[in-house]
Amino acid sequence: MGVIVKKVELTWLDRTYVWPVMKGMGITFRHFIRQLFTRTSKRYTVQYPEMKRVMPAGYRGLHELKRFEDGAIKCVACFMCAEACPARCISIEAEEFSDLNITQGFEEKRPQVFKIDMLRCIYCGMCEEACPKDAIWLRNDYEVAAYDRLSMQYGKWDLMNTYAEADGKARITEDTTPTVPRRAITPPIAS
Amino acid sequence: MDTLASLLHTSPAIAWMAVKIVIVFGGIFTLAAVFTWVERRGSAMIQDRIGPNRAALFGRIRIIGLQQLLADGLKFLFKEDLAPTDANKGLFWLAPFLAFVPAMLGFAVIPFGRSFVSGGTTYHLSVLDPGNGMGMLYPLAIGGMAVYGVLVAAWSSNNKWSILGGMRASAAMVSYEIGMSLAVVALFMTTGGYDPKDIIAAQGYLPWHWNVVPHFLGFIVFFTCMFAETNRLPFDFAEGESEIVAGFNTEYGSMKFSLLALAEYGHMMTASALIATLYFGGWQVPFVQNPTVALSITSFVLKLVFFAWVFVWIRWTLPRFRYDQLMHLGWKVMLPMSMVNLVFHAWRMSQGH
Repeated sequence: MGVIVKKVELTWLDRTYVWPVMKGMGITFRHFIRQLFTRTSKRYTVQYPEMKRVMPAGYRGLHELKRFEDGAIKCVACFMCAEACPARCISIEAEEFSDLNITQGFEEKRPQVFKIDMLRCIYCGMCEEACPKDAIWLRNDYEVAAYDRLSMQYGKWDLMNTYAEADGKARITEDTTPTVPRRAITPPIAS
Repeated sequence: MDTLASLLHTSPAIAWMAVKIVIVFGGIFTLAAVFTWVERRGSAMIQDRIGPNRAALFGRIRIIGLQQLLADGLKFLFKEDLAPTDANKGLFWLAPFLAFVPAMLGFAVIPFGRSFVSGGTTYHLSVLDPGNGMGMLYPLAIGGMAVYGVLVAAWSSNNKWSILGGMRASAAMVSYEIGMSLAVVALFMTTGGYDPKDIIAAQGYLPWHWNVVPHFLGFIVFFTCMFAETNRLPFDFAEGESEIVAGFNTEYGSMKFSLLALAEYGHMMTASALIATLYFGGWQVPFVQNPTVALSITSFVLKLVFFAWVFVWIRWTLPRFRYDQLMHLGWKVMLPMSMVNLVFHAWRMSQGH
């Protein structure tokens, strides 16, 4: 199947080349004037350090380890995220933290070490999807940079506090012992 | 002026000459440098960007990015100055100057303001006084010298891309010079002289008596040829990233590159001064018969800056020509057009106009 190419017939005015040039210059001048009299905040360019782009809701930026109201970590160290991670950047060491058992509604496992190597992370969001507890989120911070490699190794406390300031929450540096059961356990039905 | 001369132990004429040289070349040099910034900022605005506005004095004082010139200059000065091993070292060093000096020299005969009488002596506001016998032939001849800058830079750096760019550019410059010269010859004919003073005086103060109206065809030819002469964008065959890397200045770095780049802007300034002088009445102020000296200088500088801006503007509007299109335009369009212009004006003069 052939494509019919539309041949543009040039008028004599277009053939002079001078008139199309003037038209083109008119267009560029219009852009120039418009840009010149546009306020900086209205321009397309985001002047980075002063202005920051508002990221869309689904943006996958720096991770946050979520916590409960009382400050305890939501993560139960199930290793799902570490398994799902295609870049293998998550390393977890689990610990048991109380005598309370599952029947009383407490999780008894939590990460002692939760490390993400931000240099390896590809921000794919697989960990977020794999997490059964909704404990790891990728959020809108994209300014993940440092002067040395070591500070790109985010530990458990770094990850729990990544959005503390943005959300207006207190920074936490130690595990709080949970006081409230995490989920209501339906009492065994009396038979 | 006399006190300055006596302070410097020279004659007033020499002191006046020194002052003129400092003003003209200092001014042109500064304007050329400023236009490197105007080019970048203007192109950004045309393309809905912002352009270099970050350079700041002491990291704080930002004057819409004008310090970029300073920053660029400093950077260029402190860069390592390399010359390729197989380059012809002498010519390699000479080429930036060969490019830069003619770009500035062309300005010498152009009057940038009205002559004035003070204390019985007439002061002319051009580096070479009118009546020096060279007149407008001088900038044209010096403009021809610009080919050497490009060609020597290309040849001495011993690089295939350089030589391709240099040959292309010099071919373009030489072929456009003919059309340009013929356009100017028609202008000399109607003026009856080739001294810039005569040309400006003949144009008068009314905008519709300026040469651009009777010589419109010649103006188009001259204007187009100026783009080829300055090696600027619709005809920038000295360089071309997609074809021959950076063209004639592929091997150049640091201040040598800066000089080559500045030469382009110096050329642009001289070209706009030529356009203003030949076709737009030089320092004449529209509708003002005998302007004051300051007003005439302002008028000339405004015209110069405007045409320099048109150079920038056109550069960011038009796509490049292909080499064969350039040659086609130069030899088959521009040359006949300036011929027609010449013959037309000769016929018109023979009819007694």
